[in-house]
Amino acid sequence: MRYPAAVLAILAAMFLVLPHVYGNQSVLFTMMTFMALAQGLNLLYGFTGYLPFGYVGFFGTGAYATSLLVTFTGMPVLVCVLGGGLAAVVVGLILGPLLRLSGAYFSIANLAASQIIYYVVANEALKHVTGGPYGVKIEQVYAPTASYATMLAVLLLATGLAAYFRRSRFGLGLRAMHQDPISAGLAGVDIVRERLIVWLASAGIAGLAGGAYAWNLSVFYPDAVFTLQISVFAIVFALFGGVGTVIGPLLGAALLYAFYAVIGVSAPQYFELLYGLLIVLLVLFLPNGLMSLLIRRNVDVL
Amino acid sequence: MALLEYALIGGILYGIFFSLVGIGLNLVFGVMRMINLAHGQFIMLGGFGAWLLVHELHLNPIFGIPLAVLGGILIGYPLYYGVVPRLQRSQDPEMLSFILFFGIAQMIEAVMLFIFGADQRSLPGEALGSGNIGVFGQEFPDSWWVAAAVSILCIGGLWLYFTRTRLGFATRAIMADRDEARATGIDVDRVSAIAFMIGLSLAGIAGVFVPYMVGSVSPSIGDSLTTTSFAIIIIGSLGNPLGTVVGGLVFGVGTMLMQTYYASWSNLVPYALLLVIVLIRPSGLLGKAVRSA
Amino acid sequence: MSSEPLLRLEGVSKRFGGLTVLDRQSFSVSAGEIVGLVGPNGSGKTTTINVISGVHQADAGRILFEGREIQRLKLFRIARLGINRSFQVPKCFRAMRVRENIEVAATFAGRGAVDIDEILAGIGLADQADAIAGALTVNQQKMLDLGRALATNPRLLLIDEIGAGLNPAELGGIAELLKSLAARGIALIVVEHLLDFLNRITDRVIVLGAGRMLFEGSLKAASQDPDVVAAFIGG
Repeated sequence: MRYPAAVLAILAAMFLVLPHVYGNQSVLFTMMTFMALAQGLNLLYGFTGYLPFGYVGFFGTGAYATSLLVTFTGMPVLVCVLGGGLAAVVVGLILGPLLRLSGAYFSIANLAASQIIYYVVANEALKHVTGGPYGVKIEQVYAPTASYATMLAVLLLATGLAAYFRRSRFGLGLRAMHQDPISAGLAGVDIVRERLIVWLASAGIAGLAGGAYAWNLSVFYPDAVFTLQISVFAIVFALFGGVGTVIGPLLGAALLYAFYAVIGVSAPQYFELLYGLLIVLLVLFLPNGLMSLLIRRNVDVL
Repeated sequence: MALLEYALIGGILYGIFFSLVGIGLNLVFGVMRMINLAHGQFIMLGGFGAWLLVHELHLNPIFGIPLAVLGGILIGYPLYYGVVPRLQRSQDPEMLSFILFFGIAQMIEAVMLFIFGADQRSLPGEALGSGNIGVFGQEFPDSWWVAAAVSILCIGGLWLYFTRTRLGFATRAIMADRDEARATGIDVDRVSAIAFMIGLSLAGIAGVFVPYMVGSVSPSIGDSLTTTSFAIIIIGSLGNPLGTVVGGLVFGVGTMLMQTYYASWSNLVPYALLLVIVLIRPSGLLGKAVRSA
Repeated sequence: MSSEPLLRLEGVSKRFGGLTVLDRQSFSVSAGEIVGLVGPNGSGKTTTINVISGVHQADAGRILFEGREIQRLKLFRIARLGINRSFQVPKCFRAMRVRENIEVAATFAGRGAVDIDEILAGIGLADQADAIAGALTVNQQKMLDLGRALATNPRLLLIDEIGAGLNPAELGGIAELLKSLAARGIALIVVEHLLDFLNRITDRVIVLGAGRMLFEGSLKAASQDPDVVAAFIGG
């Protein structure tokens, strides 16, 4: 798996063929959603070390911005989804100063930011704009196949970006910055700019995914797109596969979500327990995920 | 005017209680340099402990306090020695412990959801006194005064521990400089483990009063309590447990004012405070929060 | 233009909390010159290097590089102008290979092509080019730090205690390397405790005490200066 184009082609082929083999398209769609989110989170955490606990905030922002654009402008849905991505990028820009914070402070501040967005969107006082706690309905544009294809495109974009971060000159600067920001600065890397670009890219992916998700659901409550569980899944999936690689988060999300879909949907609390345990075990025994098993053996993984 | 007085006095009571909510997190951070992201879940456990005492054993919820201390020891001791020394030898203790405690938080929440379901549970108001106590003509339920009194006792007790006991001195030495403390012969792991158990116990004690102060307790309440605690201890200076009181009061009065005047926005208070403070004062109070580059 | 020194500090101060670590420092350095920076621990040597290289920002005063004020510039801007440094405790990209460490600087500094093999040979790490930087000895990591700085084609190089822990033969090698850099027109500021080593490479030393410049001149003259003697013995 050394070549980005091959990874993208396999990914696209897989999700274009699978619906013809496996009937439950909504499981496949949700799997792609989490693969895209795990990959989007990996862009930031894997390549800069910032762990965004409030990652779901961008997802929810994208979902709501898309729905509001559909409701109030009547633009083509695809344009509205792009608008959702853009809205998440704008939120990312506003939250840019969070990048001055280190480690855990960043994560918690980001979580607080996502809670603020949620409480604002879901606020009773805004029910004539966002629907408040009663959620949104855009069933007039409901289109499972088109939204499925859109989510696949978001997944491919996220994966393409990860491959770019891993193999390009830009990525070389990121790796240097991740290991020692001061030395990277001395080597001429504009660390503030690189960090911001990665942060916005990561936010944009979540926003686009949120937009495609909203389109696919077309009727939802604010909790559905702002629950912390979405951040949790993205973090666990990415960590399990191995952050900082391209295929790690994809593999982690595909495996764990498939597991969840087979056993977990009916008893989610078992899964919360299992995922909690998995996080603990990963931190203690395999902090760099499944991919590190290969990397340790000098396999060149993408 | 009466409204303002109500908000201010209520805010002080509420804030004193929330100092207790935050103080365990701050103690654990000060001593271990780790953020216990499961802090809110430990508070929640304290709340369910009190609920069980009341509904299964028909005891007064105040007995939740010794139960919380017992729980803090029984959970804290194995948890500390099971994971902390190992984490402190790892490549990035701060971030890894953060993620690990997050996993623990998920597990606690899941187990509680499994046992108790997602329902919100409350405690009988009259158990802590059925009347109201008034100050300046403003009346608050007895339970609020009891919670504030217990909070003051706990915080005072922690202060006595720090200033009057050998272990407390050792704890402060570790907070000032872990390596230096080790070099002077302090058993850093033992003192830290005790501080960790105290931190969890304080969280559990706070939990006993959560059903009264917040209205109810449910398995999913943990994350918001953790974030609120984090906001409080950041306002009050991270790593300085007694400074938590300042943070608690700012949070308490702020929340009460918002509930009085803009009720629908009041749940934004802890998050907005947290964001504003980390962004406006990244140095100073928060010297350690900012990256070196 | 020719009379303008490469680097000039004018009244540069730096405080940490209430403590003044640099107190109105002024001096200049010309191209091709090697200046030693000496003084007791805590006298502000490393802080001087930190504010020039942009790792810290000066609280007051001006720092001029080729006549241009740089005291407000970000680290990477300063590096791209041609100022670079090594660290007393080496700061390599530990998970990267040795060659990649050099490549990062050669790629991003944008100061013209550099011959990576030549740099690796110069710092004595040609045989370890594919080793992971974190696996090198501390002394080798210090050299890699220097190599990372050299890969930016610097015009001013700040060296922080590179000699500690080296044997005489290794010290001799470094002295030759630094002199050859100066001969190419690179200005060097060298912080060092080893006075013999400094004596071998410097024309001029600046002696600091408690953040202030006590003396400027030859090392020999410095050893006879009463202020300097008092700072080292009494300080």
